[in-house]
Amino acid sequence: MEAPPVGVVAFNRMAFGPRPGDLDAFEALGGTDEARLLAFVDQQLAPESIDDSEAEARIAASGFTTINKSLSQLWVDHAVGDPDWEVRIRPVVETQLSTFVRAVYSRRQLLQVLADFWHNHFNVYGWDFWEAPVFVHYDRDVIRPNVMGNFRTMLEAVAKSTDMLFYLDNWQSSKDGPNENFARELLELHTLGSENYFGAIPRNQVPTDGDGIAVGFVDEDVFSVARCLTGWSVDGDPWWDPTTGNGIYLYRHDWHDLAAKNVLGLDLPANQPAEKDGRDVLDLLAAHPGTGRYIARKLCSRLIGDQPPDGIVDAAAAVFTTQVDAPDQIAQVVRAILLSDEFRSTWGDKVKRPFEIAVSTLRAGDADFPFIEGNGDTDTFEWLYYNTGQYLFGWHPPNGYPDFKEAWISSGPRVMGWRLTNWLIDVQDSADTYRMDAVSQTPPQARSARAITEFWVDRILGRPATSETSEELIDFMAQGRNPDFDLPLDTDVGTQERLQTLLGLIFMTPEFLWR
Amino acid sequence: MSEITRRGFMVGCSAAIAGLAGSRFNTLAFAQPTADQEVLVVLFLRGGTDGLSLLPPISGADRGYYEAARPSLAVPTTGPDAALPLDAQFGLHPAAAPLLELYQNGNVAVVHAAGLNEANRSHFDAMEFMELGTPGLKNTPTGWLTRHLQSSAGLPPEVIMPSLAMGSSQQASLRGDRETVNLVDPGVFSLTTGPWRWRDAQRTSLRHIYTADNSLLHTTGNKALDALDVIELYVDDDYSPANGAVYPDTGFGEHLATVAQMIKLEMGLHVATLDLGGWDTHTGHGYWVPLLIEDLAQGLLAFYTDLDGGGSQDFAQRLTLVVMSEFGRRFEENSDDGTDHGHGNAMMVMGGSAIGGLHGSWPGLASHQLFEGLDLAVTTDYRRILSEILIRRLGNNKLGVIFPGYSDYSPLGVVSGVDLPPDYGEQVFANGFESGDLEAWSTHQQ
Repeated sequence: MEAPPVGVVAFNRMAFGPRPGDLDAFEALGGTDEARLLAFVDQQLAPESIDDSEAEARIAASGFTTINKSLSQLWVDHAVGDPDWEVRIRPVVETQLSTFVRAVYSRRQLLQVLADFWHNHFNVYGWDFWEAPVFVHYDRDVIRPNVMGNFRTMLEAVAKSTDMLFYLDNWQSSKDGPNENFARELLELHTLGSENYFGAIPRNQVPTDGDGIAVGFVDEDVFSVARCLTGWSVDGDPWWDPTTGNGIYLYRHDWHDLAAKNVLGLDLPANQPAEKDGRDVLDLLAAHPGTGRYIARKLCSRLIGDQPPDGIVDAAAAVFTTQVDAPDQIAQVVRAILLSDEFRSTWGDKVKRPFEIAVSTLRAGDADFPFIEGNGDTDTFEWLYYNTGQYLFGWHPPNGYPDFKEAWISSGPRVMGWRLTNWLIDVQDSADTYRMDAVSQTPPQARSARAITEFWVDRILGRPATSETSEELIDFMAQGRNPDFDLPLDTDVGTQERLQTLLGLIFMTPEFLWR
Repeated sequence: MSEITRRGFMVGCSAAIAGLAGSRFNTLAFAQPTADQEVLVVLFLRGGTDGLSLLPPISGADRGYYEAARPSLAVPTTGPDAALPLDAQFGLHPAAAPLLELYQNGNVAVVHAAGLNEANRSHFDAMEFMELGTPGLKNTPTGWLTRHLQSSAGLPPEVIMPSLAMGSSQQASLRGDRETVNLVDPGVFSLTTGPWRWRDAQRTSLRHIYTADNSLLHTTGNKALDALDVIELYVDDDYSPANGAVYPDTGFGEHLATVAQMIKLEMGLHVATLDLGGWDTHTGHGYWVPLLIEDLAQGLLAFYTDLDGGGSQDFAQRLTLVVMSEFGRRFEENSDDGTDHGHGNAMMVMGGSAIGGLHGSWPGLASHQLFEGLDLAVTTDYRRILSEILIRRLGNNKLGVIFPGYSDYSPLGVVSGVDLPPDYGEQVFANGFESGDLEAWSTHQQ
């Protein structure tokens, strides 16, 4: 599929779609495509330099009560004393709502895209009994500060996070019978990836590199890593009531397996000091070339297409490995991907998922939409969005939501996505104004069906639709009349509703889904 | 392969639908094309089900090994929570009591120690291997059910709903199938949002847009519109189960009821997939497993009862439901009231043509009998069970297409039906199937 203008590519793959004015601003960033993309990427990779007052003001006005609480406070207020379910899940509810606010209204778009990527990479089901009360901490203190930082740093932050310790059971793992849940996913999902899993075979059948380190892992390594991480726990009684403690990471040396271990061929001697076994494992995994390649491939799949060419995966993996100690290691990998030829020239090897559909719809239509707990429109949105199958922080298994076309093109997500966006173009605020008011955004000179349609196609897609789609959209707006005659858009309610419906139709087109 | 088409549901509108739909369809031609249609329902238990809780050993040396390995989690043989004996050797978990009567009536076949021949303790790899039908390969572009639907000779060319995938996305076993209706809840599967005045016109335009091209998104979007038409027109939101069936008040229960509803509407449904998740019990095994088994057993009983009417309502007679999971759990419990990932597991086949009872060969639980000294071994390749259903119930013997690389099928005897010689296709050579050929095949399909 031929790639659209580079600004459209950039806003659809390193952002959640353009808002009004975004593509014009992109064009003004330089004299060539390369110069414009370079300027945009470097701007987005320095998020603190981007004024984000609109998103911040909206967050401040949303009435959130939990997103600034410390971990200890979250624990005390939302876990201790077994509060009502609504109180218990309030932190994850507000994280979900603030994530929408930021995705729609933040100008730090790449930051939001990467937060979504890493949340799924280090997936935690946020609506669970023990995870929900402190989910604000997982999002704010564990994931977000690291999304452009150093992978090794992020890995340890995740491994010691209250939510991950609960979610994959490591907080209960002791030398008496190590729990393999986290250890396995650490290897298979977080670092080496299943592409480097050799299955249930003896380790000596796995090839090694020059230092005797295995190129991939087997079940024996899972068992060893589980032992290395015994004692990485949470303060609180894991057998009776975790709220006897403070909910913060706690290393329990008396639970730790002190015997010698071997992971991927690396010998770990007996009786290492506190946490050293686990840290050695994280060091080994974060620096392993298999990890670099797996993470690079996953980032390329997110930012370029489902089947990224080997060349860019190799290039990104090389940056990951050579910059393994850099504080901005991930930013450098992402930069290499975004500035590659493959990024600019690839189009149509990826589709929007429900999260991207919902957010890019609100952005393209410049909607003024509330994400406020208890607001009726927010509630309806959440219910319609839930049915799309991509409820935020709602994926139960540890692998995160699927990130390839085939998972999202069947009738379920398609129809549920249409149902959601067709509601968004119709919902009105208490003053009976559309939250995505099309009439007021249509330039006064555009009054014919053709001109109106062309304006909105350009606004939403940033490029022309196919001629077939385009004709059908104009026909819809004209409803049997000459498409070049003016419509009574400023006075006739039926015409105004027709325009809102036209927006809904554009959001339902195949063109809107490709990216 | 049957296609879902608009023409299909105009000519294919069954008597069952006509009865429900009444005057809405009095201008359409009615036919009843699917009254003898076999239905296969594939239930996947996600997370790795503990077959040793579902079907624990209750006697002999294995009982001793089992109690030693599971000091806190073994299903007892005495007391109020005792296993329900199926024979001298195995019992059923007490929470599975609803299945006992079905089992005793001969409607449930159980195969212990089944699974993937190649051990893999990754959920995601093992699920893909099983559902794509190509153990060892996870880039296969189509699922095993997709290839059955594509290669089956006897299916009617056009039906209203050839296949149904319950859930937020299509299961990997149906990957690449474009005729499948996928949904979570028929009650919300509609386009009743947007200004009502322009709804019909918008829908007409949408159909025009999606029929204008053959891109992936166009063809799948057009099928989604077909699915929407089918559900909006034919499916009543208010479904009442028959024969006193009571589905559990759970998401699983709702999904089963929806499948039953679609079968009864006689829309040509031939394959349905659904899931029951939550079996990854690294902790809380003792708490969760009984609840999960209860949901499973109550759901299956309700489903069977609902479909088991007399005369023209005897849908159970042409039903085959298979229950599978990606792997069993570790023989020894861990220190956290849990069990880690294992290998061999139990599979179940339920239906009017099931040959009830315990099947397969039992590998034993002595440490030298365990896989890697850790897990229940696999003595029955899961493909053997599915192949038997394909051949004996669905009349499709093209195993070389559906399970490329599988070449030593023989029936185990879990369902009755006519045997056909397996067709392994041209890729299979006398000395077996080489992995290089399999890789080439997989690449070729893309």
